[in-house]
Amino acid sequence: MNIKRIIAISHKEWREIVRDRFFLALAFVVPSTMLLVFGYGLILDVENIPFCVVDYDKTPTSRDYIYRFIGSRYFNFRGTVEHEELLRPLFEASKIRFALIIPEHFERDLRAGRSVTVQSLIDGVFPFRAATSKGYVLAMNRDFNGEILADYFSKKFGIPLDRAFELAQPVRIQLRYLYNQELRSTWSIASAMIMFVLMVSPPFLTAMGVVREKESGSIYNIYCSTVTRGEFIVGKLVPYVFISVLNSLILWAWTKFLFGAPFKGDPVFFFFASVVYVICTTGIGLLVSLMVRTQVAAMMVTIVLTVVPSVLYSGLFIPISSMEPIGQFQSHLFPAMYFTDIVLGSFLKGVGIKHLWDRVVALALYAGLLWVISFMLFSKRPRS
Amino acid sequence: MVSASSIVVKVWQLSKAYRNHRAIENVSLEIRRGEIFGLIGPDGAGKSTLMKIVAGVLSFDKGTVRVFDIDLNSETSAERIKQRIGFMPQGLGLNLYADLSVEENIDFFARLRDVRGGELKRRKEKLLAMTRLDRFTDRPMKHLSGGMKQKLGLICTLIHEPELIILDEPTTGVDPVSRRDFWEILTELIHYQNITAIVSTAYLDEAERFHRLAFMYGGKVIGDGDPETLRASFPKVVIEVATQDQVEVLERLRSVFPQVNGLGGRIRVFADRTISKGSLDRIFGEIGINHFEEVEPSLEDVFAMLIEPGSSNPQLDRTRGKVVAPRLNEDLPSKGKHTFKESIPNCHGETVIEAYNLTRDFGSFRAVDNVSFEVRRGEIFGLLGANGAGKTTLIKMLTGILSPTSGEGKVAGSDIRRAGREVRERIGYVSQSFSLYQDLTVVENMRLFAGIYGISGKRASVRIEEVSEMTGLGGYEKELAKRLPMGIRQRLALACAIIHFPEILFLDEPTSGVDPLGRRRFWSILSNLVGNEKVAILITTHYMSEAEHCDRLALMHGGRIVANDSPVALKAQLRADIGELLVVKARNLQKVLGPLRSIFPNASFFGNKVHVFASDPERAKDKILETVGRDEIVEITSQDPTLEDVFVFRITQLERMERT
Amino acid sequence: MGFTLWWIRLWSLTVKELLQFSRDGFLIIAITYMFTLDIWLSGNIHIELHRASMIFKDADQSEFSRELISRFRSPYFRMEGEVFSENEAVSLLDRGEAILLIDIPEHFQQDLLSRRSVDVQLMIDGSNTIIGTLTSTYGSQIIGEYSLDIGLDLLRFHLDRLEAIPRVELRPRVWYNPNQEDERFLPISELLTVITICGLMLPAAAAVREKERGTIEQLLVSPLTPAQIMIPKVFSMTLVVLIGTMVSVFGVIKGIFVIPIKGSLIFFFSTVVLYTIAVSGMGLFISTFTKNLAQVAMLVLVVAMPVVLLSGAWTPPEAMPLWLRRAIHLSPLYYFIEMSYGILLRGAGFEVLWLHFLGLFLLGSGAFIFGAYRFRRQFG
Repeated sequence: MNIKRIIAISHKEWREIVRDRFFLALAFVVPSTMLLVFGYGLILDVENIPFCVVDYDKTPTSRDYIYRFIGSRYFNFRGTVEHEELLRPLFEASKIRFALIIPEHFERDLRAGRSVTVQSLIDGVFPFRAATSKGYVLAMNRDFNGEILADYFSKKFGIPLDRAFELAQPVRIQLRYLYNQELRSTWSIASAMIMFVLMVSPPFLTAMGVVREKESGSIYNIYCSTVTRGEFIVGKLVPYVFISVLNSLILWAWTKFLFGAPFKGDPVFFFFASVVYVICTTGIGLLVSLMVRTQVAAMMVTIVLTVVPSVLYSGLFIPISSMEPIGQFQSHLFPAMYFTDIVLGSFLKGVGIKHLWDRVVALALYAGLLWVISFMLFSKRPRS
Repeated sequence: MVSASSIVVKVWQLSKAYRNHRAIENVSLEIRRGEIFGLIGPDGAGKSTLMKIVAGVLSFDKGTVRVFDIDLNSETSAERIKQRIGFMPQGLGLNLYADLSVEENIDFFARLRDVRGGELKRRKEKLLAMTRLDRFTDRPMKHLSGGMKQKLGLICTLIHEPELIILDEPTTGVDPVSRRDFWEILTELIHYQNITAIVSTAYLDEAERFHRLAFMYGGKVIGDGDPETLRASFPKVVIEVATQDQVEVLERLRSVFPQVNGLGGRIRVFADRTISKGSLDRIFGEIGINHFEEVEPSLEDVFAMLIEPGSSNPQLDRTRGKVVAPRLNEDLPSKGKHTFKESIPNCHGETVIEAYNLTRDFGSFRAVDNVSFEVRRGEIFGLLGANGAGKTTLIKMLTGILSPTSGEGKVAGSDIRRAGREVRERIGYVSQSFSLYQDLTVVENMRLFAGIYGISGKRASVRIEEVSEMTGLGGYEKELAKRLPMGIRQRLALACAIIHFPEILFLDEPTSGVDPLGRRRFWSILSNLVGNEKVAILITTHYMSEAEHCDRLALMHGGRIVANDSPVALKAQLRADIGELLVVKARNLQKVLGPLRSIFPNASFFGNKVHVFASDPERAKDKILETVGRDEIVEITSQDPTLEDVFVFRITQLERMERT
Repeated sequence: MGFTLWWIRLWSLTVKELLQFSRDGFLIIAITYMFTLDIWLSGNIHIELHRASMIFKDADQSEFSRELISRFRSPYFRMEGEVFSENEAVSLLDRGEAILLIDIPEHFQQDLLSRRSVDVQLMIDGSNTIIGTLTSTYGSQIIGEYSLDIGLDLLRFHLDRLEAIPRVELRPRVWYNPNQEDERFLPISELLTVITICGLMLPAAAAVREKERGTIEQLLVSPLTPAQIMIPKVFSMTLVVLIGTMVSVFGVIKGIFVIPIKGSLIFFFSTVVLYTIAVSGMGLFISTFTKNLAQVAMLVLVVAMPVVLLSGAWTPPEAMPLWLRRAIHLSPLYYFIEMSYGILLRGAGFEVLWLHFLGLFLLGSGAFIFGAYRFRRQFG
């Protein structure tokens, strides 16, 4: 490795990037835009679920039951309809996601100490939201049951209502969210987005940079000079790694200062891990560019290799531990998962190298592997 | 005897095949230290492949290649030669970095080769001064003219002072003046630094400057040696006839001689060596030609003879069937053979292209400056000029791709600013860079353009057949355009441009990079179009021999038209201005050029000769012999100036005026 | 002139685009992958709490506490083991080896038996909000039910008849996706994303390629109008996308996942066509600002991300802030998603979705007209 030659190649590449103002601007605009759009737009708090009620009973008790939902911040009351047949079009047009159907004699049966069945309909199109909504609905119902039970006990045993309530619901839940006390989705999304953006944008930059050289024919300058394969690959990629590292700092700043996510970890460690990760994802771009011939193909293959895994296999939306063995296996194959742990660990959990060193090692190995494969694929004396 | 160490490159029984076609078959060559070795051959003959293999940037299948006594049998061994070689791939400035400045480009190449510090500064200054690029060090490469790009490419190739340089068609697409410049620089460098060079070219006049050369055809070397020996081996005599009525005379000559070529205002006849002067007099007399002369066969003639189908050359038979050999003696079509249009309105002489004070600015740069001219139906109008003179911009304005900054233009009677669809249906366009679809086959491309102009179904099939017969694309129908040799590609471009019976053709350097045979073929198609279909053609070219075919020529410089007349008139004007042309043939050109320049500042290289103009030729001859020395001069003849003389003289004159 | 000429031109250029597409092997592989394997893979992913790893701290070690802990089980949870101090628990959560701790206090059983209420703590990893939300939802549900059960059990011997206890049974019924199977949601959502990416990218790439290789000049001097140059690109790439979609629907969504399709497939495919044309127009519009594919790729990313995101694919409109809820109407994917889910999962017809159809149509033609206008303007 001749460091001067590497610098020569990097310098040239850097000048070329700088001269293409549009490209340079995009190289910085794209990552930040992605972070901002996702940070603001990807809202995972399940709140304001629009719902409708069919109340066949129309009694104070039924209204009391309904008011529990209307008063909750989780639900957004959209009105009552006369008949459940009218619900379907509302669901189909996505006007509501949830509906309650209170049967006739709701009050009478409860007063008489009988069980009543209330129906609820939930739009299952978004499974995560459906599951959460179902949880909320059941919790509401449980509270209501606790109260009527308490009421019943209080009357039956002649004890005060609050005492009866304790009897009816003897186990109380204390929820404590570690790392993110209010469970703000923006925090976790914004920090996880650092992972996503740094997964997608560096390969794009890189793939285009190398394929461009191949297409124009200037690659022959490299072929016929004494520059070694390694020098070329390193020199060529340093500017792209540099841009991406800068981007990682910008993204870090957005996440911390704009979205207010607490950064509790070790900045030095996080920076170091980001550099390793960026080298890794740049390597993906390099590999793609060495495999394909045309730029369109480079684009598509890059999307396939980066966007999909970083959404599905990174632990961003889906916990790795919840996956089928095959999914878990695939997750370990992509670098995204390791960096998700590092980002969330550094931002919200405040853990450092002690807990995360193995992730960094995995990323470094991954990066090394990618670069070695690229090194082997690149030939200064190709067959055609 | 040549000692082994003086052999720089030794190629032995080399073969190379790409996926499904053979590029090189059983080639053996030796290149000696200090020589300029030329590779000549039609497109697709395997020149580039051979050069890449020798440069160690392409692997091969069979045989051995030794460079500097190192066997290039692996990537590792190929690495060992790379500090000692310089390679410039094909394509004008394609290996340079468009957004970087001249200096940044040079610096990059230097650093890549570990040349730095004072050494770099010294070499850079020397090479920049020599190529006169020193004033443009800050200019981005993409804003250089073609000639300057080529010189920059040369600097970048030479910056690490290699012992062997490999230049793949360095002068393709470069105008005659820059070409001359380029060769002067190259010769000087090689002379002083004892460099060995392998150069390929499509210009056969340049081939005269090679110490030795090899003709390649169909992946094989079909002849090699030094130019003199090759010429001496030419089996026939060449007789040149000057004529005004080319078509008529050609037809008559063809009935007597099997091989006749029309070139500009001249016709070359290949006759058997055995033929006597008397019988020649008789034959030409019968045809009605009184003046003819025997001339020295050019390398082009030698080349043509080597690959001419039907000749007795045994080497040829081996190649047959693999490559569709370009047929040399294209019959110029007899009248009425290709009457695609039932009735051409009788409007010969009607003006179809008009430009009045056309101007186009790009920012503060004026690419085309107040240009006015007219082109009539049935006329070939040639635009000549150095790279960057504004020819392409002018054509783009006339075809409606660019809008003019000021001025007016009319094509087929309509204003170019509002060039309606009816107008665009009547024009055809071949752009400078190949602008057809590389990933489509020949027939698919033609079918597409037929469809665009509303020709479909059976009519399209008939027309495609007609056009491909006309342009000689038979046999290539199913080939992908990107796999075609350059010459065939340009024919395809022409085929697609004429598929809809256009009345006006705009051809922007259609023959750039096409080998001589391909170019002849191309022009015979054009003369057919003009002769039979009364098409008007506006064409640009860097080949002055082609310019001779034009009815009228406009010489552009710095965005302006500086001369506009017929070829004959242009030559006559040159004579009137600066006198008669003397062609000086010397033993060592490098030696005589200096002294000659001291008496005739306009003396310049033409192939292996020097051209000099003098108002009194006899006195000039004496003066030359006196100044240079009789021993150095082989021969001084006076000749009619060619268009190349016109071009070189006019442009250098203008450049000189600008400098002062 | 006239219709025939139009048709011939359209046909010739469309054939050309398809031929060019067919010559790029890597591209075909990538597209095929996106429409088949990728869809299939996404169907094997579950956004659902599935065997989430959890730990417990049981200071009581009683029958009651063990009963409660045993209720945390498959499919939602998986007990990884016991810890004895909070520090130990936090360290496991730090390392991500567990995402939930249930902490049962001392005297749990004793307090319950003596009719005192007790607090049980759930400590949840909140760093990933989705997982955090699901964990707390299911965790609370399990404890809540246990609470009611134990409350009733303890009082049981005071009561006369079991059925006399009043209680509201809530029967949640999840429509369209009864078991909240992700393989209904994710493959379809993935397909819609793939359609978006292809629809944006392919025509844009085809257009900028003409510029990069200079072939556009040949088209500009021909009598083609900008629309005639653009429409075939849209046409051919729409065809590619449509074929991909069909393969995906019949092969993967219906074939492998056996997702019942409620509505009319013809209506769905027409929507796909309309949608692809709309995003193609956007893609072509993008391509007019760029010189090369690198720039197209970057710009498409900038545009595609918001389009995908603001569509309700990940976040339904009702959860968005008001300004976003307004902006969402500019995303063609919003209409497309609504329509696709409507047709495929809910069986909605044109009479319900015509407004969306109209929105998509307006957006599409707007982008297209603007693109055609820019297309000619960029030269000269």
